[in-house]
Amino acid sequence: MNAIIEMKDIIKVFPPNVVALDDVSVRFEEGKIHAIVGENGAGKSTLMKVLYGMHAANSGSIYYKGDKVDFHNPGEAIASGIGMVHQEILLIPEYTIWQNVILGVEPVGLLGQIDAQKARQQVQKRIDEYHFNLDPDDYVSDISIAARQKVEILKLLYRNVSILILDEPTSVLTPQEIPKLFDELRRLRQNGHTILFISHHLDEVLELSDRTTVLKRGRNVGTVSTDQTSKKELARMMVGREVVFKTKREDHEVGEKVFELEKLSYTDPEGRLRLKDIDIQVHAGEIVGIAGVEGNGQFELVNMIMGLIPQREGSLIVDGEDLRQASILNRREKISFVSQDRGNMGATLSASIKENVIMTHHRLDGRFTTLAGHVMDYQEASAFTAQVRDQFSIVMDDDEDLFRSLSGGNQQKVILGRELLLDTPFILLDQPTRGLDVGSIEYVHRQILDMRREGRALLLLSADLDELFRMSDRILVLNRGEIVADLETDETTIEEVGYLMLKGLRDETETD
Amino acid sequence: MRQKLINGLAGILLAMLLGAVLMLVQGYNPLQVYLALFDYSLGSGFSFLTMLRNAVPLVLTGLSASVAFASGPVNLGQPGQLLMGALFATVAGLYLDLPPHLMLPLLILLAMVGGALWSGLAAMMKHWFNMDEFITTLMLNFIADYFTLWAITYPFFDKSAYSPMTPPIAKTGWMPEIGQFNTSILVMFLAVGAVWFIFTRTTAGYEWRMSGQNSLFARLGGVDTDKNYLAVMLLTGALAGLAGGLVVMAGPHRFIKGLGANYAWDGVMIAMVANNGIVATLLYGLFFATLQTGALGMELITAVPSEIIMVLQAVIVLLVVAGRGYLDVLSRRFAERQQTRERAA
Repeated sequence: MNAIIEMKDIIKVFPPNVVALDDVSVRFEEGKIHAIVGENGAGKSTLMKVLYGMHAANSGSIYYKGDKVDFHNPGEAIASGIGMVHQEILLIPEYTIWQNVILGVEPVGLLGQIDAQKARQQVQKRIDEYHFNLDPDDYVSDISIAARQKVEILKLLYRNVSILILDEPTSVLTPQEIPKLFDELRRLRQNGHTILFISHHLDEVLELSDRTTVLKRGRNVGTVSTDQTSKKELARMMVGREVVFKTKREDHEVGEKVFELEKLSYTDPEGRLRLKDIDIQVHAGEIVGIAGVEGNGQFELVNMIMGLIPQREGSLIVDGEDLRQASILNRREKISFVSQDRGNMGATLSASIKENVIMTHHRLDGRFTTLAGHVMDYQEASAFTAQVRDQFSIVMDDDEDLFRSLSGGNQQKVILGRELLLDTPFILLDQPTRGLDVGSIEYVHRQILDMRREGRALLLLSADLDELFRMSDRILVLNRGEIVADLETDETTIEEVGYLMLKGLRDETETD
Repeated sequence: MRQKLINGLAGILLAMLLGAVLMLVQGYNPLQVYLALFDYSLGSGFSFLTMLRNAVPLVLTGLSASVAFASGPVNLGQPGQLLMGALFATVAGLYLDLPPHLMLPLLILLAMVGGALWSGLAAMMKHWFNMDEFITTLMLNFIADYFTLWAITYPFFDKSAYSPMTPPIAKTGWMPEIGQFNTSILVMFLAVGAVWFIFTRTTAGYEWRMSGQNSLFARLGGVDTDKNYLAVMLLTGALAGLAGGLVVMAGPHRFIKGLGANYAWDGVMIAMVANNGIVATLLYGLFFATLQTGALGMELITAVPSEIIMVLQAVIVLLVVAGRGYLDVLSRRFAERQQTRERAA
């Protein structure tokens, strides 16, 4: 087969000490779907951004249709027929679909005015051609995330792109939307498009792609024909060792009720009812999962439990103590919290690792301060940081280094270590594995199960149904601020939960 | 640390080079000008001590701004807080006459209370009405400006004077001089040391720094951010007030119209150049005082107007602050190239 793109000996360095791409060579064949897999930080996105002209490689060369190319910006890449859809969707919500699509390449009339009719027709033609099931006159603000992603792809097709790069396209989709995206991508392949597809979900890769390239720490570990490989083999190539896919949740008796939330409702300042009559109970040694499409009240629920939003109705009792009106510090004596948003809620990126590790401990544990709690004992803090480092196998140089300098997985381990060592009876986990790679996810899951074994009560919010099913004893489904189902994990299925998550969201998904 | 030093020194040298070009264009001899400048600020024991004394209000207001900015609150009220501090110390000095070992601490304390009241007012407006301190502290500057002017024109006016000023305060309230060494310098260094300790070693300082960088994280970690906000506002107001009190007690020994000069705004500028670092604020404060002190000598010896020093200061701020970002880019690019070479080899 002839390679439409060949990348040779690509090196890309991000100082001070990250070698994102370490001499990577890879070939992509025309008319195929190529998957690029690897853990976080393996260099998948960087490799694609180098191809797309967003990053300049420090050395190496790129050949496109046999000619050496060097794109200085994405515009040049698009002009040559290479387009990329990023993880975050960049559209103007106040514009209609066709307006978004033509933005920058508008067909104009004699006087330089936009030829709206022609533009609309051209966009409609593309929509029909690829069976995209979109109405070009819909406003982007009114359509679902999946539909927005389609608009992003449409934008590139409108610019006659023949090679499509998709950066983790499924990460923003619900389980039901993913097969539809795959159908569309297969249809594009039939039309002769080449698709480069970044993912770290191995099931997707196996289902969709023709060939798979595995990156590990900036090196190309190998390119395989997808029909000749397996999930196990890919995982071993990615991580460098065997990965246990089924972290075991053993049966055991649950203990006393530790966490009890009753009749919690919340109306936001704009007058919208965000949470309605929420009742949640978690017992010692039990993991309760909360499933739901993002934006159905998870954010408000978490903020309410943590005390960021004052609770006016209902009750909140943790470990026998009424915390409804307690200060955040008082709550922290009973509640550990791992947030989904590491850089914003979970840590201060611009502070040192040590300063991040001792947060909250510095108030609750007397050994970190002297003189009646007024002066910090940074030596003790260093010792504690070393303890967290060893106990949670964190890779780091110096505890004075900025938190920012750690990899995503290590950042999450630092946060996890800080929170779990608070030794609280209740642990709140809000998407604790979001954005982590396979190896780190496995690690976090093991820690969570250890906590369950120790008899802590855990509440786990997640958008990943596999995770919920693997971890939780019970699953609550949150839909539009209401808990619509309370299910025993062993007596339900992913399909049922997926359906319940979307129930009531029909009007939004109908456009698909 | 080393990068900060390189950045600062490179910015200063470049700025002086640009200043030299400016002087050359206007027909002056830059070498002579700079020699005069540093001779009159560092050249002798006397000029060095004068420079230190001039540094007191710059360093203290700079410290006030640095601590505030690094902890979150955008306190831009140093000019007003300085004036209120000066007024408090002056009024007490007019009516009290205690022995120096009581008088001096009392006046210093009152100056700090005056500044803290003024910043505390802004903090309360935030607490009660959710008004942004960025706006209120700026507006309170105007009020303090006219209020103190009124106070020295009417109730506390020195009837023998021709322009608005108060009579001198009691001699026991004058900062003592040891030879040519004014003890206000000692107070400044003590204040810098105390603030450094509070900011980098105490629990409160830790929480302020964390809140300044990510207040949501600090809140979730159990930090009482409201309480810390008030504490930072009061402390930074007190520092600016202290600057005002010391200006009165070390210098004219009375409140004269225009007493605050441009100290506080220079202090804010120093905080920016210092990137809100405590030690850096002290160093840049001393350097700016060197320029300002030397400017007088420069004017005496050469024909260059002392305004050129303000230009020089502004250029230094621009170069150091802009250079901070650019030096990062530069060193990253250098490191990229080097590591690529290692990989390729």
